[in-house]
Amino acid sequence: MPIHPIYSAATSPSDNAMLFNKYKKAKKAVLWNRALLGVFLFFILLWAWIGTSFQIAELFTGFANIVAFLVNDFLPPDPGAVASMAGPILDTLFMSYAGVALSVGISFFLGVLAAKNLSFHPLCAFLSRSFIAFIRSVPAIVWGILLVAAIGLGPMAGTIALGLSGVGILGKAYADLLEEIDESQLEAVRAAGASWFQVFGQAVWPQFKSGFVTWSLYKMDLNIREAAMLGVVGAGGIGYALESSISLFQYKEAASGIVMIFFLIVIVEFATAKLRERII
Amino acid sequence: MNLDEWKKQKRRTTFFLFITLFLFLVISLAQLGVAPGKLLDSGERIQSMLNSMVPPDVHEPSGVLEAAIESLQIAIMGTFWGVILSLILAVFGAKNLAPHWTISYIVKGFAVLVRAVPALIWALLFIAAVGLGAVPGILALAVNSTGMLIKVYAEAIEEVEKGYIEAITATGASKFQLVMQGILPLITPIFITWSIFRFDINIRYASVLGVVGAGGIGWELVRASQTMAYNEMLGITIVIFAIVLFAEWVTRFLQKWIEKSNVRAFQSNSN
Repeated sequence: MPIHPIYSAATSPSDNAMLFNKYKKAKKAVLWNRALLGVFLFFILLWAWIGTSFQIAELFTGFANIVAFLVNDFLPPDPGAVASMAGPILDTLFMSYAGVALSVGISFFLGVLAAKNLSFHPLCAFLSRSFIAFIRSVPAIVWGILLVAAIGLGPMAGTIALGLSGVGILGKAYADLLEEIDESQLEAVRAAGASWFQVFGQAVWPQFKSGFVTWSLYKMDLNIREAAMLGVVGAGGIGYALESSISLFQYKEAASGIVMIFFLIVIVEFATAKLRERII
Repeated sequence: MNLDEWKKQKRRTTFFLFITLFLFLVISLAQLGVAPGKLLDSGERIQSMLNSMVPPDVHEPSGVLEAAIESLQIAIMGTFWGVILSLILAVFGAKNLAPHWTISYIVKGFAVLVRAVPALIWALLFIAAVGLGAVPGILALAVNSTGMLIKVYAEAIEEVEKGYIEAITATGASKFQLVMQGILPLITPIFITWSIFRFDINIRYASVLGVVGAGGIGWELVRASQTMAYNEMLGITIVIFAIVLFAEWVTRFLQKWIEKSNVRAFQSNSN
């Protein structure tokens, strides 16, 4: 490894002086940059602070209120609501799973198209990447609102919204993973006269598999949280039940719903961790 | 067991695993009532919706712009308070700095609980507790950020070497001095990376928090969907899309700038 000029030993006094000057200059530039950055961030913060007319006092009253609210109105969770929340919570699980399945299917196709080393044409890779980037840049909730408007209230809109939001994440992850694989293995299999599918099965898949499984299961973890939010806009699942019980001031019911979401998240994360171990 | 048998067994477990996963998918779809037929039935509705969506339109440009700016400001304030709260709590949550190990577990347990509640539900709770507007949005984002940031900050602090802390404590430094002089400079790179990452997430959330009435552009989208103004919905979706793109650009820009103001600058300047 070549030694960087600034670290290499100086041989004469004039070299030393030059190095020192360089160091002083660099240090000055860095300090200036830091000061500028600080001022910039300060003004941005000031702008936001004034724009939202936020007051420090609100921080304390806000947190005092929420704690009082949680303690007085929320606790203890109503155990009677567990039965009525069980349906929606299962729906959330099913939505997340079906959403993952949908997005894995679509993202696999788009990811292969978007990876430069596997795609049929550079233009095709570019288009696929842009499409994935577009889907990623629209939040899942927005997809949910659009889909609820298009196909009506219910878990179907939520499932498709989860599928779309998954394409944004998984499509990019798959494409990046595929672009990072070892080219020499591809060359070797290609040189043996393998068709595209044979190349994929023999050279790409063994390298791609672990990343594929990890990312897909990670998206399953994410989906539970996202599915719980999607319900708020009417796309089915536990969020819908939570929203209606909060708007009806049935806070203890909502509390048991939140506790159930918590357990669902823990169970799913445990299950995906086990599955990952098993498959990889 | 020889290798062949082992391979066969492994193949069999994989096979069963896939059958189970597939069956679960079928059950899920059946339970949700997702059927291709149903999607085809709403084809006409989707068609008419798409037709009325173009050209996209923004009914009150100034109002939407204001809401978009409010979203940005909520994200900035939410991240700011989230970062400050998490830093303070992370000091108590890190095992090597906590006054007592039970406190560390309590803080980390709190973080896990906070993380389990999605951001939008936090916003609903804060609206119930403090009313509508930007403030519940800011507080919801701040609390939601702590769930993730406490965890990563505390992990960063825990990675600080024991000898380092002992050396500073041996000079007679107080806890506060230890954190400010010894810990913060060490975790700065991790701290900056994660805070910027969280800002990116918060902007996405801030653009949808309005859906439940916590200020920002989300409310405009819901209003448009309630009045079935589909062209406005598309227009506002495009604005949200632009906000997210802008956020990505800003975070990249900030990252580059911060890189310039740390040690790496010495290397590039000397060339």
